[in-house]
Amino acid sequence: MNQSCYRSIGSGFFLTLLAGMLLFLPAVAFAAQSQPPVQTEWWIWEIALFVFSFFLGIIAVIAGVGGGVLFVPIVSSFFPFHIDFVRGAGLLVALSGALSAGAPLLKKGLANLKLALSMALIASISSIAGAMVGLAMPENMVQLSLGTAILGISVIMLLSKNSAYPEISEPDTLSRILHIYGIYYDEHLKKDVSWQIHRTPVGLFLFIVIGFMAGMFGLGAGWANVPVFNLVLGAPLRVSVATSIFVLSVNDTAAAWVYLHKGAVLPLIAVPSVAGMMLGTKIGARLLTKVHTSVVRKLVITLLAAAGMRALLKGFGI
Amino acid sequence: MKQQLHANRIQLTYATVLSWTSTLGIIFVVAGYLVYVFQLLPSTVSPSEVALHWHLRAAELHKIVPVPSGWDWIYQLGRGDVLSYASVVYLSSVTMLCLVVIIPLFLKEKDMIYAVMTLLQVLVLVFAAAGIVSGGH
Repeated sequence: MNQSCYRSIGSGFFLTLLAGMLLFLPAVAFAAQSQPPVQTEWWIWEIALFVFSFFLGIIAVIAGVGGGVLFVPIVSSFFPFHIDFVRGAGLLVALSGALSAGAPLLKKGLANLKLALSMALIASISSIAGAMVGLAMPENMVQLSLGTAILGISVIMLLSKNSAYPEISEPDTLSRILHIYGIYYDEHLKKDVSWQIHRTPVGLFLFIVIGFMAGMFGLGAGWANVPVFNLVLGAPLRVSVATSIFVLSVNDTAAAWVYLHKGAVLPLIAVPSVAGMMLGTKIGARLLTKVHTSVVRKLVITLLAAAGMRALLKGFGI
Repeated sequence: MKQQLHANRIQLTYATVLSWTSTLGIIFVVAGYLVYVFQLLPSTVSPSEVALHWHLRAAELHKIVPVPSGWDWIYQLGRGDVLSYASVVYLSSVTMLCLVVIIPLFLKEKDMIYAVMTLLQVLVLVFAAAGIVSGGH
């Protein structure tokens, strides 16, 4: 057995243990949503949040999922912060990740400005609506719907099969009017790949739903953006991933402002999360070639499902 | 085949502005946070006081401690917690800055569809930032 196998087994064991802890530890051990927290110095929580976000960042990159989607369910389970602030921090985690990754992807021509702008306008409006609804909902309802959403996301991640180069026989009328097409240099094929899209109205409708959910739960929405761009609209996988990041930066900006106005962003929670996650994703990107990503991905999905289950149980007051 | 970049001028301009503004944003956010937690400037609310109440809903916490929110901090920039909050506000404004820059470029290329679409996107974000469509007060 080679070294990378041992690493994968080690990380697998860690994640399984974490998933078990998430699901079975009693609520009083960590999260104290409506009771005062156990008397622990604030700076210990700050360091813990930074370290936790750092590891989450590493795992997120290796598993190929956005940090934002892991952040909210897991941090709201392990830390004494109210879920309002965790969602606010989750949006900023997703936003800062998207902002820092956006420029190189745009320069390489992988992210497409016209494709992104067409979808982001409608998605950002629904993301504002989602954030307002999410912050007005009673806490148990938030937990219940978050749990359901996270379980649904786990299933999508488990079942979705990407298509690297979808075949589009003919672009639809709307995409032709909006001039949505492009060409990029594919480093794998070592040649230029031109692309176009179809089913644009269906994509626009789905982005309304995605934007709403992202705003409501403070989740980055790469888990949904990528399959819609790739499987529904028919954009190549690399273009889908890159453009998804751009769309995230617009939608999360819109939703973040709702959280800022509602006082649901505390720099004490948001900044260590952003810094830890960004540092973690940089390290994770370096480890990417050294671990079995498929094994880690499956375990992260298990972890996500456990976090979703825990949120559901919390919602039911269990 | 030699790699060629296929991004157009508008996309490259957006990328350049994004690169600068987001890097600055990350620096501001970390610097503002360090000023706050190490109490290098006086704060409206100390970190320990915030920590006593961070288990409460946002609306309940604001009734007890006057942590900055929305734009109510604008005249108190000399305070550590306000500075840290202002850096987060800046980070949340980066996308708007980038979009504003490309509107004239779309107009120059007579691409009215995207000029209008980008303008509408900026308006949505400005309305959200102003609290008009985001429940601000």
